[in-house]
Amino acid sequence: MTYSAVFKEHLAHPHNAGELPGATVVVEETNPVCGDRLRLYLLVEDDQIETAKYLAYGCPPTLVCGSVLTDLVRGKKIQEALAITKDVLIAAAGGLPGRKHHSAALALETLRSALTQLGTSTEEKSLNLT
Amino acid sequence: MKTQRIYLDHSATTPVDARVVNAMLPYLTGKSGNASSVHSFGQEARAAVDRARREVAALIGAKQNEIVFVSGGTEANNLAIRGLCEAVSEKGHIITSVIEHPSVRGVCDALEKRGWEVTRLPVYENGIIRVEDARAALRPNTVLITVMFANNEIGTLQPVRELGELVRTERQSGRRSLWLHTDAVQVAGRESIAVEELGCDLLSLSGHKLYAPKGVGALYVRRGVRLQSQSIGGHQERERRAGTENVPGIVAFGEAARLARTEISERRSHDKRLRDNFENEVLRRIEDVVLNGEKEMRLPHLSNLSFRFVEGEGLLINLDLQGVAVSTGSACSSGTLEPSPVIRALGRSDELARGSIRFSFGKDNTDNDVERTVDVLANAVTRLRELSPLNKALAS
Repeated sequence: MTYSAVFKEHLAHPHNAGELPGATVVVEETNPVCGDRLRLYLLVEDDQIETAKYLAYGCPPTLVCGSVLTDLVRGKKIQEALAITKDVLIAAAGGLPGRKHHSAALALETLRSALTQLGTSTEEKSLNLT
Repeated sequence: MKTQRIYLDHSATTPVDARVVNAMLPYLTGKSGNASSVHSFGQEARAAVDRARREVAALIGAKQNEIVFVSGGTEANNLAIRGLCEAVSEKGHIITSVIEHPSVRGVCDALEKRGWEVTRLPVYENGIIRVEDARAALRPNTVLITVMFANNEIGTLQPVRELGELVRTERQSGRRSLWLHTDAVQVAGRESIAVEELGCDLLSLSGHKLYAPKGVGALYVRRGVRLQSQSIGGHQERERRAGTENVPGIVAFGEAARLARTEISERRSHDKRLRDNFENEVLRRIEDVVLNGEKEMRLPHLSNLSFRFVEGEGLLINLDLQGVAVSTGSACSSGTLEPSPVIRALGRSDELARGSIRFSFGKDNTDNDVERTVDVLANAVTRLRELSPLNKALAS
């Protein structure tokens, strides 16, 4: 399949790209097979994701999933964010070819990892970049 | 106004030359005979196939009865390797390299599963095999050396002439059953080829890499080399490739070969000038760029560069959105999720292999194409590096 107009728009003009100083939690996950990486920054107050930003390295779907994911989680309660499914993410990206679904899986894994960290500690997490 | 697109993927395929289209058109319309038919329609088709065979033979310094027309490079490689091995009475040993095209690599893998022994020669940081490694790999039962003339991803020229000398020396020492095949698909029309000088027994060609349409290619088979046909059911191509000849495609290939032969030095210097200007500008304007493969011993039209902290397919699609078409050895684009084995074989890290982009120029590219591509590339690399956690990790 060819990429949708929504997808191309996210790729050309990614939303919420960049670092987020003062983030409540920062998590980076890697797909060990293809090497794609997604780093997610969340600023959480009173159980609500106030803002989200990201950095990404990888194929276009991984870059776009970062953009789409951060759009989806902004303003959501943590439980609402946990309820985001792969299908919802793929639909918001304007669709992804089957062989690129791993990008959506990486994005959700990163989100869940960040939310799990939030659940275990309310203190700011430091990122191990090694 | 829609931006003019820039095509820099001539190693994948080339646009069909208008002169080639004109040459083949009569054979798609009025001159529609089967070259095996005895009536006048058939005779004019046969004459056209014979003319094309002479032109393809002339391109590589062969005799016309040493050319077998096939559907393209992949079939030529299959016919060369499987055809030769199946014509030999006992399973033996094959020497190849780690950077072969999948149509050679895959055939060697398949033969290995059927009991053949295969040695895969390494390449070094320059992307070139060493003849002494091939010499050391020779065994009493070695039947075939198959090493590509130039690599399709990085363009490095392999020492095929020296391999030819090695085979010749072995023959002079009394060894009879040792043959040399080379996949010259990327070389034809870009560098001169003379099969006698190379000393090869089999050489693969593809039409669509030299401005002919897709669906036609050729295998050079030195006189006296026995091959087992891979398609049965017809006497075409001297019993080596059954099936009605693709007359329009063959005519087109013949005309493309004639043009390539007569224009080769002009095309070569044009492509090389654009490629060198492009590389100089990229290296001047963009930091952390790595050239993959030997700088001198490579095809004149091709540049393979890795951009650190940037993944190749992400960069490719960003360039494509700006109208610039290139290709990549990145993991995701290959469908295998593994980064390019060719770039990895140079000893590059996974990250550099994932960030490799191939730019391949052609006769219709212009200085403006180079200028605009460098602008688009510099912007895309900057944007993707700003987004890259690898880049930020280094900065922090």
